[in-house]
Amino acid sequence: MASFDQKKITEIHQHLHSHLPSDSALRVKALETILVEKGMVKSESIDRWVEVYADDIGPKRGAHVVARAWTDPAFKERLLADAASAVDEMGYKGPASGHLKAVENTDDIHNVVVCTLCSCYPFAILGMAPNWYKTAAYRARVVREPRAVLEEFGVTLGEDVGVHVWDSTAELRYIVIPQQPAGTDGMSAEELAALVTRNSMIGTDRDLKVGA
Amino acid sequence: MDGIHDLGGKLGYGSVDVNEPEEPFHYDYEGRMWAMSRIAKAPDINIDWWRHVRELIQEDDYLNRPYFDSWAQTTIATMIDSKVFTTDELASGVSATPPLADVLEVDYEGVLQQNAEIAFDFSRPVDTEPTFSVSQTVVTNKEGHSGHTRLPEYARGKTGVIHSYHNAHCFPDDYAKGKPSAQHLYTVAFTATELWGADANPNDRVTLELWEDYLAPK
Repeated sequence: MASFDQKKITEIHQHLHSHLPSDSALRVKALETILVEKGMVKSESIDRWVEVYADDIGPKRGAHVVARAWTDPAFKERLLADAASAVDEMGYKGPASGHLKAVENTDDIHNVVVCTLCSCYPFAILGMAPNWYKTAAYRARVVREPRAVLEEFGVTLGEDVGVHVWDSTAELRYIVIPQQPAGTDGMSAEELAALVTRNSMIGTDRDLKVGA
Repeated sequence: MDGIHDLGGKLGYGSVDVNEPEEPFHYDYEGRMWAMSRIAKAPDINIDWWRHVRELIQEDDYLNRPYFDSWAQTTIATMIDSKVFTTDELASGVSATPPLADVLEVDYEGVLQQNAEIAFDFSRPVDTEPTFSVSQTVVTNKEGHSGHTRLPEYARGKTGVIHSYHNAHCFPDDYAKGKPSAQHLYTVAFTATELWGADANPNDRVTLELWEDYLAPK
């Protein structure tokens, strides 16, 4: 039974600090070994989960959501009203998609997403979060000086463009719908999806490139 | 809890590594830790307790060890606390008791199926009406408390506007104590000038999802 006792956990952490192997891979290996011994995981299942997140579940899912929103106005309406249902409709339901929101960039607004308290992320449609999203630097700075952080990503915003920072510390998760690049109206949803970068759906990219 | 995890707005951090390679996992252990966290957890915990255990990692480890290393330490700590295994069993890799379970191996399609099933719904019914309405001005609590909470320090004692309402959700401050409860949840918008002062761009804003206990009318 979990103790729900802060003091007890602090003591466990102190003990682990001194007794766990220093190497991260060895720590994870130790956990896997004992969980296999306890019958709680199979190493072969871990292999399959890694394959699924390397091959199938990643930002290309989000890119297809964005491209469909660009090409299907009724879908876009559903996405903005209830993104959780809209991604479910595309077969993309999964971890952290239960309370998904889509927020749209415009000429006057740029959206960017963070979780300052841990590193919450919409895994089901964007896959694994990049390391930078989880760093202290990004979490500390993007709420306070978003324009400086965006500059580091190569995004320069006019003073009149409002930055909306979504600090997703509860169970709502966010996907940014970037603006469709000019001159791409004739492209198929498949072609358009190839233009959508992972960072543009987090908000650290803005002007998508055509034929890059 | 005023811990090291509450990073929003803190000063002194350097630039962001924008040139990181895009592949999902940079080391094998990252993928294995991610996968284990999908498959196994201490049987009686919840996400808020897990997050609280993570934020209690001592600050040098929290800031300097890799992200999935902190997931490993958090999961290990919750499992030792919940008596899934002991520190000796972890160190030796040998279970001193018969297996607790006998999970089945899952294939690729099975993983896709299980993945779809973990789109959890955190909304819960409550028998009260929401106190606040959209567009209403509110002020956040000035003080935090020693337990787990999702009102970041930078947004305490600040004035904002209710942007949207999301029904009642599990209240983390109580769940992290093993006492399930639910409260009305709102997205609250704060102007950058309210949070950071007159030098901030007046067109910028930060939004947070905040529970009713964090808010008062203004």
